[in-house]
Amino acid sequence: MNTIFILLRPRLLSFFNNYRMGKNNKSWIRLFMFGSVGAVFWVGSFIMFYRVLLYFQSVQDFGDILAMKLLSMIIITLFALLIFSSIINSLSHYYLSRDLPLLHSLPVEAKTIFMSRFLLSAFDSSWMVVAFSLPVFLSYGLIYKAGILFYLIAFIATIVMCLIATAISSLVVMVGAIALPAGKIRTLFVIMGVGLAILLIVALRMIRPEQLVNPDSFASVVTYLNSLQSPNSSFLPTTWITDIIILAMNGNMKSSLFNLALSTSCAFTLIFLNESLARVAYFYGFSQAQTTPKRLFAPVNFQGWDWEHLLNFLSRQAKAFAVKEIRTFFRDSTQWPQLFLIGALIVVYLYNFSVLPLDRSPMKTVYLQNVFSFLNMGLAAFVLSAIAARFVYPAVSMEGEAFWIIQAAPVSIKTFLWIKFFLYYVPLIILTEILIVASNLLLGVTPFMMILSVTTIFFLVPAVVAMAIGLGAIYPDFKSENPALSVTSFGGLLFMLCCFGLIIIVVILEAAPVYYIFMSMMRSQSLSVLQITWTIISFALVLFLCSVATLYPIRMGERSLKVK
Amino acid sequence: MIDIINLTKDYGTTIAVSDLSLRVASGEIYGFIGPNGAGKTTTIRLMGGIIAPTSGSVIIDGFDMAKNPVGAKQIIGFVPDRPFLYEKLTGREFLKFSSDLYSVDSGIFEQKSASLLKQFALWDWANEIIEAYSHGMKQRLIIAAALLHDPKVLIIDEPMVGLDPTGVRMVKDILKQLAANNITIFLSTHTLSIAEDLCHRIGVISKGTLLAQGTLAQLNEAAKTGEAKLEEVFLNLVSHEWEL
Repeated sequence: MNTIFILLRPRLLSFFNNYRMGKNNKSWIRLFMFGSVGAVFWVGSFIMFYRVLLYFQSVQDFGDILAMKLLSMIIITLFALLIFSSIINSLSHYYLSRDLPLLHSLPVEAKTIFMSRFLLSAFDSSWMVVAFSLPVFLSYGLIYKAGILFYLIAFIATIVMCLIATAISSLVVMVGAIALPAGKIRTLFVIMGVGLAILLIVALRMIRPEQLVNPDSFASVVTYLNSLQSPNSSFLPTTWITDIIILAMNGNMKSSLFNLALSTSCAFTLIFLNESLARVAYFYGFSQAQTTPKRLFAPVNFQGWDWEHLLNFLSRQAKAFAVKEIRTFFRDSTQWPQLFLIGALIVVYLYNFSVLPLDRSPMKTVYLQNVFSFLNMGLAAFVLSAIAARFVYPAVSMEGEAFWIIQAAPVSIKTFLWIKFFLYYVPLIILTEILIVASNLLLGVTPFMMILSVTTIFFLVPAVVAMAIGLGAIYPDFKSENPALSVTSFGGLLFMLCCFGLIIIVVILEAAPVYYIFMSMMRSQSLSVLQITWTIISFALVLFLCSVATLYPIRMGERSLKVK
Repeated sequence: MIDIINLTKDYGTTIAVSDLSLRVASGEIYGFIGPNGAGKTTTIRLMGGIIAPTSGSVIIDGFDMAKNPVGAKQIIGFVPDRPFLYEKLTGREFLKFSSDLYSVDSGIFEQKSASLLKQFALWDWANEIIEAYSHGMKQRLIIAAALLHDPKVLIIDEPMVGLDPTGVRMVKDILKQLAANNITIFLSTHTLSIAEDLCHRIGVISKGTLLAQGTLAQLNEAAKTGEAKLEEVFLNLVSHEWEL
C-alpha cells in the first residue's frame, strides 16, 4: 500500500510545486480565476436545480414522480460520462503515459503500478462529476428537507459510483490491451468513439424532447411520464445509486445504507477483479503497447488524389502546413472519438429540428419558427466555440516540442499563425453554415432570418477561430503529453469565456433590430428613423467587434510566440 | 559567414550568454565546447533565430537575424540537440514538408531527398511514420532535412548524440565533405575527440563567456599546456575559470 502512495507522490508534489514555486503571482491568479468560474457554475447549477425542483413541487400529485425521474436521468448521464471519461483516462494512465517506462524499470510489482494508476484515473475521471453532483444533491436535500446523513450518504454513493465506473472501464481497457494486436492499442479510442456516437444518438432519441412541446401526443399524464424514458433495471449500478439517494432522502436510512453496502461491495469486488487481472495481464498489455505503433489503416494511394495534389491551389508554405496538419490530425487516433462524437451531435442536432411539431404548438407558427431560428444562431455559435475549443485552441500547442522546426524555418510567426487560422477557418465555416442553413430550412424560416443567420455566422466564425488560434499562441503548452487537454487550461478557459462573451453581445446587439424588422414585415409597416438608426449602429457594432476579435488575438499571439 | 557581435542572453535569473563575439569564415568548421550549462545551446538557439537575444546581434552571410530572420534562416540548416519531429509523418513526408518551407525546387526535391535518405541509411524507412524511428534515425533524418535546401551555414547542436559508431563516422564524413564544398559549420559538442578531429577552430565557453578560441595549437598556447590533447586544454581552461 505504501508503495502505491510513493508512486502517487510525484503527481501530488508536481501539483503543489506548481503553485509553491511560481515566480510570480500568475499561478495564484489562475487558481483564483478557475475557482471563480467553478464557483459561478456550481452556484448556477444549484439555483437552476433548486428552482426546477421547486416548480415540480408545485405540480400536484406528480411533482415527486417528476423529481425522481429527473434524479434517475441525472445519475444515468453522470454514469455514462464517468464510463467514457475513465476509459480515456485508464488507457492513457495504464499504457501510454510517458513516465511508464521509468516506473516499470523500478523494483516495483506491475500490479502495484497498476493500482496507483487505477487511483489516478479514478480521480482524474471523477473529480468534476463529484464536484458538480453536489449542488444537485444539495437542492434535492433542501427541497425534501433531508437530514445531514442524506448528504453524507449521497456523497459516499457518488464516490462508489465513480469507483464502479472506473473499475468497469479499467477491465474493458485491460481486456482490450490483451486482445488487440501489439502496437494497435490506440484502436480502443476508435472503438470507443464509434460506441460513444451510437450511444449518444440512441440516448438522445430515446428522450424524444420534441414530444414535450406536442400536447396532442399525451393522452394522459402516465403516457407523458412514460415518454421520459430512463432505463432502471435492477442489474444496473445506476439503479442502486438512485435507490440509495431516494431512500436516504425519504428518511429510510436502513434500506439506504443496505443498498449502499451492496453497491460498495460491488465496487470492491470489481477492484479485486481488476487487481487479479492486473497481476496476470497488465504487464503483458503494457509491453504489447510499447511495440512500435502501427497504422490503423494502410496508406491508400490514388494517383493525383492525395492531399499534395488536392491542395495544389495553395502557396507552397501554406500547402506544406496544411498537408502536415491534416496528416498529423487523422493519423492520431486519440482525435477520433471526438470526431465521431461531433458527427453524432450534428446528426442529433439536425434531426431534432426536423421532428419539431411546431404546427401543433399553441404558439403562432411563423413567430415560433423565427424565434427558434434566432436562438439557433446563438446555439450554432456555441457549438462552433466548443468545437474550436477542442480542435483549434490546441492547434499551436500541437506543434509540441517540434515547434523548433517552425522557429528555425524561414517562415514568420505571423504567416504560421494565419496559415493555421485558414486551415481551421475553411472547414469550420463550411460546417457551421451547413448547420445553420439546414436547420433553418428544416424550420422553414423567412428569407430575412435565413440571410441574417448566414451573415452573422459568416462574421462570427473567423472571430471564434482567430481567438482560438491567438489565445492558443499566447498560452501554448509545447510540453503537454496530450495538447488536446489544453482546453481545460487557463488559456482554454479564457477562450471559452471570450467566445461566450462575444456571442452573447452579438445576439443582444442583433435582438432589437431583428425584432423591429421582423415585426414591421409581419405588419407590413416601415421602420421609424430611430429604429433604422438603431439597426445600422447595432449591425455596425457587430461587424466591428467581429473584426477586432479576428485581428487582435492573432497579433497578440504572434507577439507572445516571438519571445518564447 | 557568421558574425556574432556582443551577444547577450539574460533569462532574468541567469545570464546564459554574456557579451559573446566571434566570427566564422566560409567553409570553416567551428567547434563550440564547454561544460554543462555553459551557454552552448543558448548560443546555438540564438544563432538559429529560435530565441531572441537580450542584446547584441547575429549576422549570417550579411543577414541580421533580428532584422531579417526569414532571409537568414533561408540559408541556415539547423539541427537541435533533441530530435523532436512530427511523429505522425513519414520520413519522406517530413522531408517534403521541410523542402516546401525552404522553397526547394520541386523537380530537385525527389532526386535530392532520395539521395539524402540513401546517404543517411534511411531509404528503407522512408515511408514509415517517424514515431517508429529510433533516436539515432531521428537524428539522421533531422540532419538530412537540414541539408535538403543546400544551406550555406549548418548549425548543429550535439550532432553525434544517439548515433551508433557507423552513424558517427557517416556524419563526420558528411560534415568534412560539406566544409570542403565551402559550407560553414558551427557545431557544439561534449565529445572532445570529435571536436579535435573535425574542427578547424574551437571556442571554449564557460558561464556564458568565451574563454578562448582558435586552433588546437592556439588553445594550447592560451592554456599554457604545451602540446596537450584538447581534453587537457579544456579542463585546464575551465578549471581555471571555475577557480576564478
